[in-house]
Amino acid sequence: MSITLPTYSRLEIPLLGRRQRVQAIIATGLRKELRRPAAIVVTALGAAFTTITSIVLLFFAPFLLPGQAHDLTFFALPASNGFVLFFVSLMAAVIGSGLIADDMQSMAFTLYLSRPITQSDYLLAKAAILAPLISMVTILPLILTALVAALLGLFSWTIALEAMGISLVVGGLLTLFYTAVTLFLSSLTRRKGIAAAGVFAVNFGLTIPAGILASQINNPSILYIAPWNNYLAVAGAAFGASGTGIDWPQALVILLGVTVLAGIVTYIRMKAVEVISG
Amino acid sequence: MLVETAGLTKVFGEVRAVDDLTVKIPDGAIGLVGPNGAGKTTFLRLLLSLLRPTAGTAKVLGRDIEDGLAVRERIGYMPEHDCLIPDMTGVGLVSYMGRVSGLDRDTAMSRSHDVLQFVGVEEERYRKVAEYSTGMKQKVKLAQAMVHDPQLYIFDEPTTGLDPRGRSEMLDLVGTIAKSPGRNVILSSHLLPDVETICKYVVILDGGHQIAAGELSQLLSGATDRLRIDVRGDRDAFVRLLKDADFDADIGPSGLHVSRKPGLEAAVFETAKSLGAEVRYMGKEIRSLEELFLELVARTEKPGA
Amino acid sequence: MNGVVEAAGVSKWYGEVLGLNAFTASFGKGITGLVGPNGAGKSTLFKLLIGQLHSDQGKITLLGENPWNNVPLKRRLGYCPEQNQLYGWLTGQQFVETLLRLDGMPATNARNEATAALKVVGLSDAAQRPTRGYSRGMRQRAKLAQALAHDPEILILDEPLSGADPAARVHILQTISDFAKDGGHVLMSTHVLYEIERVTNNIVLIHNGKAIAAGNIHAIRALIDTHPHAVRIETSKPRQLAQALARMEHVVSFEFPAADTLLVRTRKPDAFYKELPQIVSDTRLDVRGLESPDDSLDAVFRYLVG
Repeated sequence: MSITLPTYSRLEIPLLGRRQRVQAIIATGLRKELRRPAAIVVTALGAAFTTITSIVLLFFAPFLLPGQAHDLTFFALPASNGFVLFFVSLMAAVIGSGLIADDMQSMAFTLYLSRPITQSDYLLAKAAILAPLISMVTILPLILTALVAALLGLFSWTIALEAMGISLVVGGLLTLFYTAVTLFLSSLTRRKGIAAAGVFAVNFGLTIPAGILASQINNPSILYIAPWNNYLAVAGAAFGASGTGIDWPQALVILLGVTVLAGIVTYIRMKAVEVISG
Repeated sequence: MLVETAGLTKVFGEVRAVDDLTVKIPDGAIGLVGPNGAGKTTFLRLLLSLLRPTAGTAKVLGRDIEDGLAVRERIGYMPEHDCLIPDMTGVGLVSYMGRVSGLDRDTAMSRSHDVLQFVGVEEERYRKVAEYSTGMKQKVKLAQAMVHDPQLYIFDEPTTGLDPRGRSEMLDLVGTIAKSPGRNVILSSHLLPDVETICKYVVILDGGHQIAAGELSQLLSGATDRLRIDVRGDRDAFVRLLKDADFDADIGPSGLHVSRKPGLEAAVFETAKSLGAEVRYMGKEIRSLEELFLELVARTEKPGA
Repeated sequence: MNGVVEAAGVSKWYGEVLGLNAFTASFGKGITGLVGPNGAGKSTLFKLLIGQLHSDQGKITLLGENPWNNVPLKRRLGYCPEQNQLYGWLTGQQFVETLLRLDGMPATNARNEATAALKVVGLSDAAQRPTRGYSRGMRQRAKLAQALAHDPEILILDEPLSGADPAARVHILQTISDFAKDGGHVLMSTHVLYEIERVTNNIVLIHNGKAIAAGNIHAIRALIDTHPHAVRIETSKPRQLAQALARMEHVVSFEFPAADTLLVRTRKPDAFYKELPQIVSDTRLDVRGLESPDDSLDAVFRYLVG
C-alpha cells in the first residue's frame, strides 16, 4: 500500500486573482496546442503559404494584374488570398474544434467550473488560445507582406504602414469571427470531428454554392450567406478597392452580428451545462 | 457553521428539486445521504454556486453563495464521474488545476507533488492520465480537489469503481482529511456504512427537504437498554433459559435481543457454558445508518413514487 | 460434478494479458459472491460462463454443461452485465419485453413475463417511462428484471448494486435472496464486501486469474492462521481475564487498547469461542461486551489479497 502521510500539509498563502487564473488556462492551452505536431504543421504551413503567396503576388502583380494601381488598393489582394480561407478552415478544424468539445467529452469541464472562475473566464481563455493562432494566418501574412513591400522599396512606407494598420483591423475582424464561430461549434458537441466538419461546412459549404448560385440566377445578394464573401467586401472597402458585388456595410453588420451572436449563444450554453450528475 | 440555508428553493419547471430547505450544518465531517431524486445533487450544485436559487439564501463557510467565486475558492470538489483531461500527466493536471484555482506556478507544482504523494501516486504521476487504472484516476481526482488546500471538501461517491483495496485506501484518505483540524468534509454517498465510518454528522434529504439531521451517535443510539447477542448453538434453549432466569429475551434477525438488567452478562456466559454454546458477539443493539435511512424514507414516501 | 460451476485448470489469455490462469474451483449452489481486485479475472470468468468466450486451456462447466455454443444453456441463465447504458428510448416494459422476444418468447407471453418481472424488482410504477430517465438504481433493477423474466435457473450478476441508492440496494438484495430461496442459484460479483455478507456466506476469491479461496467466509477465516483471529472483549478487569485466557494454548497475544478493553489474538477461533463461556463463568469476571472485528469478508480479503 502506498504511503499515507501522518501529517496533512496546509497551505497558508493567499490565492491569485482571476486574471492570473485565466492566464494560466491560456498559457497551458497554448503550450499544449503548440506541442501537437498537427497544430504546428497547420499553423506553420498556413502562415508560410499565405505569406509567401502574398509576397510573390507583390512581385508579379504588374504582370498578372496590369490594371492594378500601385497604391493602397493593392493590399486588398493579399487580404483576399484564397489560401487564408483554406488554412483558417484547417486551423479551426485541427486546433479549434477540440477546444471545448474535448472538455465536454472528458467532462473536465466540471473541474474548471468547480474552481473560482466563471463561464465567461473559461470562454475568454479558450478564445485567447485560438485567436492568436488564427491570426498567424489572417493578420501576420498581411503585415509581413506590407513590411516586405516597404523594405524592398516596392511601396512607400506611408502606404505600407497604412496597409498594416488596416490589415490589423480587417484581419482582426476575421480572426474574431472564426474564433467565435469555431468555439460555438466546438461547444455544440463532444466529438471534435463534428465541430471540425461544421467549420468546413460553414466555409466551403456556403462559399462555393453561394458563388455558383449567385452567378446562375444573377442575384448577388446570395453572396451574403458566405462569411468569406462578406469578409472580401469589407476588406475590399477598407483598402479602397472597388466593389465585389455586395455592399460592405451590410457585410460588416453580418460579420459582426454573427460573431457576437455566436459568442452569446456559446456563453448561454456553457451556463446550462450540467456539471454534477444525478 | 459550515453551511447555513434559509428557505433555499430551486425549481426546474414543475419539479421542486430543493424545496424550502432550511438547515444548519456544523463544521466537521458531514454525510449527505438521500434517495435518487432527493435533491442532493441540486443541493451540491447550489452550494458550489453553479446554480442560482429560485428562492432563499445560503451561506457556505460564512459566505453567501451569490458570491460564487469566493465560495469556490474555499471548496475542493471531487466529482463522481470521470473528469480528468486524458492527455495530461498526473502532475501536470493537478498543478494546472492548482493554478486555475489561483496558485502561482511554483506553489502549484510543489503542492501538486506533495498532494500526489499523499494520495499514493508515485512514478505514475509522470505518465498520461489516459493510461491510469481506475484506482489511480480516483486518486488524481482527489488530488486535484486538495491541491489548493480548501476549507471544505465535497466528495461525491469517492469509492465508485474501486476494488476493495482501493476502497479502503480511499476511505482512509478521506478519513484523514476529515480528521484534519480546520478542514471540513461533505461526503455524499449511497454506501451508508462508509458514511457511518467517516462522518460524525449526517443530513438526510428526501423530496427536496431535510427529513433528518444530527450527530450520528445520537441518531443511531437506538435502544441502549437492550443487548444484542450472537449465539452459536441451541438459540431457542438459550432464550428459554434466559427467560427462566427472569430476563426479557427474544430472537431477532441478527441474533438474540435482551433487555439489560444487572447480572445479565454473567448469566449469558453461564447459560452458554451449561448449553455448550458459543457467544460470538455481545454488545449494543446499534441501529445502522441504513436501517434509520430506510425507516425515514419509507415514512415520507409518497404513494406511487 | 456437483457444483453449479465446475472449473478445472481454466486459462484464458488476451495476447499477453492475463484473464484466467489455471483457475480451478467448484462453487455456485445458492448465492455465491465473487470477489477480487480489479483485473483479477472476474469478467473473464463471467464471459466464459455465459459462453461469450472460449477458454484456451482447461474445462469449465455451468450446471453440468459446456457453455460454449450452447443455446439451451443460455436459456437457463440470466445475465446482468456491468455496463449501465440501456436502450434509452425504450420504456422499462419495452426493454424487458424486447429482450424476451429476442429469446424466442411469443409476444403475449413476453408482455406478461415482463410485467411480472418488473413487479418483482419494484419497477412497476416506472415501467412506462423511457429508461434514459432512470436513475442508476432503477437501471440496475431493470437489468435484473430482464435477467429474471425468462425464469432462469441461475443468475449471473456483474456488480448489480453499483451506483444504486440505499432503497434500490435493499430491493435488489431482497430479490436475489428470494430468488435463491425458491431454489435458484446466484453468482454475483461486487467490490463492496459488506453487501455480499448481507446475503450469503459463500464466496469465491479471485486474484491474478486464480481462485484463492472458495467456500464459507468464516471457514476460510478460520483457516488463515498466519493472521490470528482478533477478539475484542470489554471488561473491567482486562488483565485478570488475560491471565485466565492465557491457559488456552492457541492464544497468541494480548493487547490492552483501553482501560476496560482486552484484545486477544488466537490461532483457533472456534476453540476459543468454545472454551470462553466456561472460563468467564468460572472466574466470575464481568465481561460486558464481546466482538470480533476480524471475522469479516473484508478481513479475509485483506489477509489473502493484501
